[in-house]
Amino acid sequence: MAENIVTIRSEIGALVWKIAAPAGTALAEDDTIIILESMKMEIPIMAPHAGTVVEILVTEGQQVEEGQAVATFRP
Amino acid sequence: MTWQPELDELRLREAHAKMLGGADKIARQHAGGRLTVRERIDGLADAGTFHEIGAIAGKAEYDAAGNLTSLTPSNCVMGRAQIDGRPVMLLGDDFTVRGGSADATIREKPIMAERMAYEFRLPLIRIIEGSGGGGSVKTIETTGRANLPGGVGGGALYHYTGANLSMVPVVGLGLGSVAGLGAARLAATHYSIMTKNTSAMFVAGPPVVKRLGEDLTKQELGGWEIQTKAGAVDHAVDSEEEAFACARRFLSYLPSSVYGTPPVTPCDDDPNRRDEKLFKAIPRDRRRVYQMRPIIDTIVDKGSFFEMGRMFGRSVITGFARFNGMPVALMASDPFFYGGSWTADACAKVIRFVDLAETFHMPVIYLQDCPGFMVGLEAEKAATIRLGVRAMAAVNQTTVPWCTMIIRNAFGVAGVVHQPAGRLSLRYAWLSARWGSLPLEGGIEAGYAADLAAADDRDAKLAEIEDRLNLLRSPFRTAETFWVEEIIDPRDTRRLLCDFAQLAQPLLTPTPSAVKMRP
Repeated sequence: MAENIVTIRSEIGALVWKIAAPAGTALAEDDTIIILESMKMEIPIMAPHAGTVVEILVTEGQQVEEGQAVATFRP
Repeated sequence: MTWQPELDELRLREAHAKMLGGADKIARQHAGGRLTVRERIDGLADAGTFHEIGAIAGKAEYDAAGNLTSLTPSNCVMGRAQIDGRPVMLLGDDFTVRGGSADATIREKPIMAERMAYEFRLPLIRIIEGSGGGGSVKTIETTGRANLPGGVGGGALYHYTGANLSMVPVVGLGLGSVAGLGAARLAATHYSIMTKNTSAMFVAGPPVVKRLGEDLTKQELGGWEIQTKAGAVDHAVDSEEEAFACARRFLSYLPSSVYGTPPVTPCDDDPNRRDEKLFKAIPRDRRRVYQMRPIIDTIVDKGSFFEMGRMFGRSVITGFARFNGMPVALMASDPFFYGGSWTADACAKVIRFVDLAETFHMPVIYLQDCPGFMVGLEAEKAATIRLGVRAMAAVNQTTVPWCTMIIRNAFGVAGVVHQPAGRLSLRYAWLSARWGSLPLEGGIEAGYAADLAAADDRDAKLAEIEDRLNLLRSPFRTAETFWVEEIIDPRDTRRLLCDFAQLAQPLLTPTPSAVKMRP
């Protein structure tokens, strides 16, 4: 089923503030996977559909670039 | 005696022209998922309104007796048509004739189309597929010389490519591979659209960049994801039909030229409508973000928001909307991107957008939540401050009426750029609004360095100062000193913006702007 796994990317350069949904978490659409911090604001990266977090590719406190893969997700 | 033989010849030549590059080439165009230029014109224009100019210009062949045997039309199809009952100019590349290349163009045809748009003040839609420009390198052999771009007296097309932007609305549709001058003509527009799977745009295509060591497909080099994110193209769609619909909709907000004002349409949405959701749209926790687009959707006339350039400079949302039927240029912050701070790209987006509003006499509404310019090393390297002061100058150079709603943050120099600095505009602050020269975080460390250094418990001192300052930061204290003129219940937003749109109408002056628009 690997072909169904989607890569979630950060749309901004930011600090990873919190992993809200570790690998294995089942989420509804728009539930938060990871919370970034940018300009002192908490910016959520949300589930594009209902599904399950397969893998988290970053750690809290890590700096991510715009476009960087941060998680994989199975709808 | 009638002129029947001549009429027959005219119809024969027209029939040849309608066959474009021939059945094989048309089949190839369709197999690639793309329409022909004539199908595109039919898709764009009101039914039956296309009036073609120069249809029978092309390369003819004759038999020994001097009778016409074939006519390959020029690969530029152009003429007048109507869109939603208003006259426009359409100018399309025919990819079935020499791949849309300038090799098969009659130079004066696209120039006349551009000039007619300019002189008759008609919105211009460029349907672009191919390269245009000086043609392929084959022209070195066919003309016996290399092409100096523009050459002697060859500047007209380049002149109008830019000049039309200060005269009439210009829309570009990239509907296939678009390179060289074709790319320039697509980018030099007020609004450009490309199709996702069937088009790509680049200065030079894969064979050329491969010689430089980059081995890329068309999509990898200049597909929609590259070009919309870069801001070189405004919008990408799944089908050509969607592209036509976007072009028509874009034009519906604009006057036909700078000599008109934006057309007001009937509206059945109550200007006094209040949406309770607005009262809790902004989180009380200042670190939390919220979605700006649902706020926009609920304050404008239902369904009237038309966003442009969504993928570029994403901390700022730009688009057209209507308030009680009156078109406005609407700009809003998106806190999901860098908290709504102005990046260099966002500044570039603001500049082009306010120039567009100024050019076509559109009142501007700005829903502001801007914590300042983007900060940090990357932001400095991107010359954010240079682009930032250009954006400030662009806003200050506008003469169209302005109204700003401060939704949440207004900080620093970017925070200032919420209204033209040299003249009066309307401004309202939501109950959730906050402002300052600097944010407290980091600002206290800078402003109270001596106090903090002298404190036994630095953290406690920091917290104490922060509490003290927070007590004074209430927007009501600012209003008390008339440093902001109005704080409003956010549920009144639509009523106040409809009121602004009405106030703006008599101020819209249908004369060319002193600021000449650049792409």
